[in-house]
Amino acid sequence: MGNVLVWAIWIGAAAACLGSGIAVVSFANPFFSALALIGNLASLAVLFLLASAEFVAAAQVLVYAGAVMVMFLFVIAYLGGRADTPFEGGPSWVSFGAVLAATALLVEIVVAIGLKAGDLLADEAEVGAAFGSPAEIGRFFLTDHLLAFEITSIVLLIAAVGGVILGTKTRAEEQLDRLDKAAP
Amino acid sequence: MTEPWWISVIKALIIINLVLVGFAYLTLAERKVMGRMQLRYGPNRAGPFGLLQPAADLMKLIRKESFFPASAVDVLYIASPFVAAFTALSTFSVIPFGPGWEIFGYQVDGQVVDVPISLILIFAIGSIGTFGFIVAGWASDSKFALLGAMRTCAQLVSYEVSLALSVLGVVLMAQSLSLTEIVAGQDGTWWYVVPQFVGFVVFLLAGTAETARAPFDLPEAEQELVAGYHTEYGGMRFGLFTMSEYINLITLSGLAVTLFLGGWHFFFLDGLGPIWFLVKLLALLFLFIWIRTTLPRLRYDQLMRFGWKVLLPVATLNAVVTAILVVAL
Repeated sequence: MGNVLVWAIWIGAAAACLGSGIAVVSFANPFFSALALIGNLASLAVLFLLASAEFVAAAQVLVYAGAVMVMFLFVIAYLGGRADTPFEGGPSWVSFGAVLAATALLVEIVVAIGLKAGDLLADEAEVGAAFGSPAEIGRFFLTDHLLAFEITSIVLLIAAVGGVILGTKTRAEEQLDRLDKAAP
Repeated sequence: MTEPWWISVIKALIIINLVLVGFAYLTLAERKVMGRMQLRYGPNRAGPFGLLQPAADLMKLIRKESFFPASAVDVLYIASPFVAAFTALSTFSVIPFGPGWEIFGYQVDGQVVDVPISLILIFAIGSIGTFGFIVAGWASDSKFALLGAMRTCAQLVSYEVSLALSVLGVVLMAQSLSLTEIVAGQDGTWWYVVPQFVGFVVFLLAGTAETARAPFDLPEAEQELVAGYHTEYGGMRFGLFTMSEYINLITLSGLAVTLFLGGWHFFFLDGLGPIWFLVKLLALLFLFIWIRTTLPRLRYDQLMRFGWKVLLPVATLNAVVTAILVVAL
């Protein structure tokens, strides 16, 4: 019974994930695309929940579906949010390349999983009580994956500083602004 | 012993209705207290002492025509009040209000559901709830509503960081993200408001901004924006937005009680758990109403400067100092 429920939720969430993903790229109105992206992130969170990763699911909703998408909606609504001209398809080699790249990715994932996991896929994973708990994730961040964790933080810091620099006007630009205002 | 699922369902129904009644009378209490503080009576016509005023308001809102701007985006316009109300109601489910009891041989926990990451869950669901406000402002296709929604966006992003950092101190001290364990950590010792006083003040200030109440009520500044994001809403749809705002305030106060004021514990008479919780909750709600009547609204640049240059550094410093002390002691 429990298994059937899990399967039903998994199929629902996976379908929602694919459906909202397609919706993101097919809506002409960017506001709807952003809303579909929120749906996509939320259904991903459900998939994380099914994989016993409650903390990752909550963080996914909090950080991506919450904070990041608020900024997306802010910018889209601020710029008007009107229906832009839909994507005409571009030159035919673009769509051909897109399909080719997507297929290559899919093959790569299947081959990588097949080579790495092999027969292990038939075995059930051992999921302890501590699996996916905040304490366990924190321990991994500060022991096994410390280098990646620190490098990520530096990259984010650089991005923040870059954002400030790009957003700040230089003194020369400010003077030009002042001249523009002074001119009749 | 864990509690059977049907007890959770019954408890959820009871709590939702209690919260809804609490919301109804919070609107009355706010108008009454504000009236007294401004040397007026406040509503006193419907029933004794105006006690039936919430019922009268409800009847008025339900019987109003569901007006609809012609150029609004219909699906989003109709859905967003429901999103706001649903997320507001669901966050209260993880707040512990009592120790748990054994009734007729069945275990009944002191909260609707107990999840190990309940604190993050509240923030996560709350962040989904803000989309109700933002989408409503956009879907109304009105300049006032859009400006209100833009202000909501900017304000929430600015103050959510401080709010999350202010509770980090409590999480470090309790060494848990579970609200029940945080409450248990305050049993028989100092409430976290004493060692985390800075965090408590930051939490209250950022919380006032998150719920868009005066003096941080720029998203709904009547003099500038008519009503903000719900300008084009009327009837019960408007009622749902008001409801979600007040219930968000109740949940925020409940969270403050749980994190900083010992939850349902008191120094003695612990058996009266839910009553102590209610007393502390009401005291905090009164404080929020008091702040609203006392302080004038901030200017927009003051709001942003205060959020980023005062509140955020203080909250960060508090978290860092707490982390050092927790490790050192």
